[in-house]
Amino acid sequence: MLLITCPWCGPRAETEFSYGGEADIARPLDPDALSDAEWADYLFYRGNPRGPHREKWNHVHGCRRWFGVERDTVSYRIARSFMLSAGGPGADADAGPESGGDANTEQED
Amino acid sequence: MSEPAPHRHGLEAFFATAESTPDARVEIGVLSNRGFLNVRLDPRKQQNVRTAEQVLGQAMPLVANTYTSGRHRVYWLGPDEWLVETGAGDAATLGGELTAVLAGSGAAINDVSGGQVALRIAGADARTVLAKGCTLDLHPREFGPGQCARTGLARATLLLAAADAAPSYTIIVGRSFADYLCRWLAHAARPHGACFSTR
Ligand SMILES: [Zn+2]
Repeated sequence: MLLITCPWCGPRAETEFSYGGEADIARPLDPDALSDAEWADYLFYRGNPRGPHREKWNHVHGCRRWFGVERDTVSYRIARSFMLSAGGPGADADAGPESGGDANTEQED
Repeated sequence: MSEPAPHRHGLEAFFATAESTPDARVEIGVLSNRGFLNVRLDPRKQQNVRTAEQVLGQAMPLVANTYTSGRHRVYWLGPDEWLVETGAGDAATLGGELTAVLAGSGAAINDVSGGQVALRIAGADARTVLAKGCTLDLHPREFGPGQCARTGLARATLLLAAADAAPSYTIIVGRSFADYLCRWLAHAARPHGACFSTR
């Protein structure tokens, strides 16, 4: 079982979380301007990398917040978890994906 | 306004038939007549927190997974979400007052009394019994009085709080899970000897 660190609650068992797919997918600002192929790409196509993967998780049986996790898809090792947006309540003012608010997890699985 | 109906927990049948063992090392009880408010507000606006605290008459827990005790119990549920546990007869009035003073702030106060049941698990082996179905580290060093966590117990999502060092724990669980959870607890506690109480 994975031990996933929620940025708010700390390390919790994988069973408390729900997986939300690849992170950093931005909804197109003007969907009408997109071709069908571009829209399909936004809706359905994901990177599916072998190695480090930025993905979304929801602490559904805990604080119910979405956050990001950087996980290696080969080793399942979690490098870190992070808050998804600087704007949400509870997030530090500068807790963007690359800045503060990191909860580093260095555990082996 | 008429007197609000006492909050029924729906566990009357369970507690009527549950048989207590002498020398029980686990006590399973239901706390009757509790009322619950779900409070959502943005704590980055400190005025919101101060306003709510004035009505509550106690501090709101801003540290994750903690609660404050006073006239009410205020549990941290998320970075912008709290659960207030109070008397069943007080929830509507308190909710109304909070709604009034926080009007225009974007806060949401909801009376969720009808959907929650509060249980009490106490006794020498209470921690051992909870650990059978919970992945949290319940050692007092990690989870002591003043701490709470929304987590899973026997596949039910609930709020678990360390009430005191006796040890005793408070569980606040969705009403539709309460009967199942009590039966699971009674089964898990059987080897330790269990006694049952309503109050
Ligand atoms: Zn959490």
